[in-house]
Amino acid sequence: MPVDHFLLMVLYAFLVSVFFALLWRRDRKAQAKLFLQIFLGMTLGALALAWLMFPFPGGPPAPIP
Amino acid sequence: MSDEERPDGAAQEEPAPDAPALSFSRALGTLAAGFLVPGLGHMLLGRIGRGVAFLLLVLAAVATGVSLEGNLYRVLPGQPLTLLATLGSMGMGLPYFVLRWAAGYQGDVTAAGYEYGTAFLLTGGLMNLLLLLDVWDISRGRKG
Repeated sequence: MPVDHFLLMVLYAFLVSVFFALLWRRDRKAQAKLFLQIFLGMTLGALALAWLMFPFPGGPPAPIP
Repeated sequence: MSDEERPDGAAQEEPAPDAPALSFSRALGTLAAGFLVPGLGHMLLGRIGRGVAFLLLVLAAVATGVSLEGNLYRVLPGQPLTLLATLGSMGMGLPYFVLRWAAGYQGDVTAAGYEYGTAFLLTGGLMNLLLLLDVWDISRGRKG
């Protein structure tokens, strides 16, 4: 399976968002609202965090065992 | 005497509307079914659509984790935290035991998606554990 970091993150956020929307809400409208809140919170939050971390140096790469 | 009591003095228990309260043993049986097959507990309680959706979600997480060759946790001596991770992964029920013992799945630490796959597999197990709490609340009449 190809490893695309962003797509995997989006897929993960999607699964988790649908899960909690179905688990915590009964009304369709409320489910859709919670889904959007969690999904956007996870994806946009991760992007924002990555952007904030951009100026910080990563240090030397880990040695390959 | 408060309004909450019946004339004979016994406390009046009113289950939530439309919430079937099962006996303790039947609720345990539903819980066990929900543990083995994700979503089955909800299906047995009449929530067919939600049960199927939960089954598909958990299986999707597990299948993605396996396709990425993530780690299916097992207890390692000298590493107590692997016990918690193993219990979390075991939460997925039958898929864990099928993968571990029937398919001999172990994951591949050299795979590019190893860490992601591990997260997906662990998430599948934790999702089902949360579903079990929901099944218990519904079957005992605490949640409609």
